[in-house]
Amino acid sequence: MDFLDEIEASVPALRRYARALTRNADRADDLVQDCLERAIRKRGLFRPTGPVQGWLFRILVNLWRNSLRSERRRGEHVGYDTLLVEPSIPAPQHGRLALGEMNRALDRLPADQRETLLLVVLEGVSYEEAATILGIPIGTVMSRLSRARAALRALTGAGDEPKLRSVK
Amino acid sequence: MTPRPAPVSENDLHAYVDGLLPEGRAAEIEGWLALHPDRAAEVVNWQRQNEALAALFPPVAPELIPERLKPRRLALRPRGVTVNWPQLATAAVVLLAIGTGSGWALREFDRPPESDSLIALAVTAHALYVKENRHAVEVAASDRDHLVSWLSNRVERPITPPDLATEGFNLVGGRLLPGDYDDSDSGPTAQLMYENAANDRVTVYITAALPNEGNAYQFSTRESLDAFYWSNDRITCTVVGSLPDAEMKAVAKKIYTQLTWRPDGSASAKS
Repeated sequence: MDFLDEIEASVPALRRYARALTRNADRADDLVQDCLERAIRKRGLFRPTGPVQGWLFRILVNLWRNSLRSERRRGEHVGYDTLLVEPSIPAPQHGRLALGEMNRALDRLPADQRETLLLVVLEGVSYEEAATILGIPIGTVMSRLSRARAALRALTGAGDEPKLRSVK
Repeated sequence: MTPRPAPVSENDLHAYVDGLLPEGRAAEIEGWLALHPDRAAEVVNWQRQNEALAALFPPVAPELIPERLKPRRLALRPRGVTVNWPQLATAAVVLLAIGTGSGWALREFDRPPESDSLIALAVTAHALYVKENRHAVEVAASDRDHLVSWLSNRVERPITPPDLATEGFNLVGGRLLPGDYDDSDSGPTAQLMYENAANDRVTVYITAALPNEGNAYQFSTRESLDAFYWSNDRITCTVVGSLPDAEMKAVAKKIYTQLTWRPDGSASAKS
């Protein structure tokens, strides 16, 4: 598999993560396109020892952080609510979290917790890989994950089902 | 007796929820959770969160990739053309360009995309540090031996500050700077600063060569600063300043000659 094929194989995963970060499908594809262009430009710098996918995610995360920074500088913050088309969501089945509620709770997480949680949960990467992609120590991955989960639990009204205690 | 399981940490609970534990350990965690209902309730809530996130952001089907995200298509888009002329011929062209009245006519010539971000970094670093008086450099020219060995070690290339005395510029000193922000593989960079009697300052930004980038030359003007960039198989170098054209050319030419160009056509930094 050559380099461009390897990149192509990563595109679906990149788009999924980008959609979760941006909450907007067009904006997500813009981000992925920037990421791919940059990766193709920089392929000379890539050391083929590491996986291509992790490297692509690292570029994507950095581009996303930069765009958040410049948005703040320009003061043009567009709330996620205005960007997001609320998914048509069936009423939660018993024992499940309401997706709309989860979606709003996610909006209220700090950006660093959100990027960490989404990477681990959606992409299924190990904590070591997440640390490499995000450029932070593994201890920071764990503490962000922990804070994100505690915050989501509080924001979604705990959501603990009483039947739980009967589980043997 | 079965061996006592290892104690269960907060990290174990996260790894359990994320499916990152080996089977045996996961079973131990389940046993532990059965005895700790409060933590078990929390863990179930985390699992529900994971399910909700996966439902909110489902996997993207590979067959639905739009044209604009196809790497092969993106790779075909025209960018700079890399001209791989023999070193001597290229060096001659550049020296000629710098030396003649046509001057900056090489602007936009042979433009490897990677150089754009290096030039931007060099210009940013220049703008930041030339304003400083007490903190313009980390190591002053008075400590030249240390400056040379330190920067050479960190950039992993021999870096001997060019002598610009005939152009009226003296070395102020130098500093170490981080490389490209979004590429953790790019090494540190060295910035040398020069000053003339009129307090005009010029900086020289040096990095180890970019892999797979051959010889390249680029002139650009950004934020009213002129930048003259070149690269070979050992280093990249960007000279930044806001001098009058003729003076800038003379300084850049002097630096180029001392730092990179060897009369025999070899491309080594002066060591």
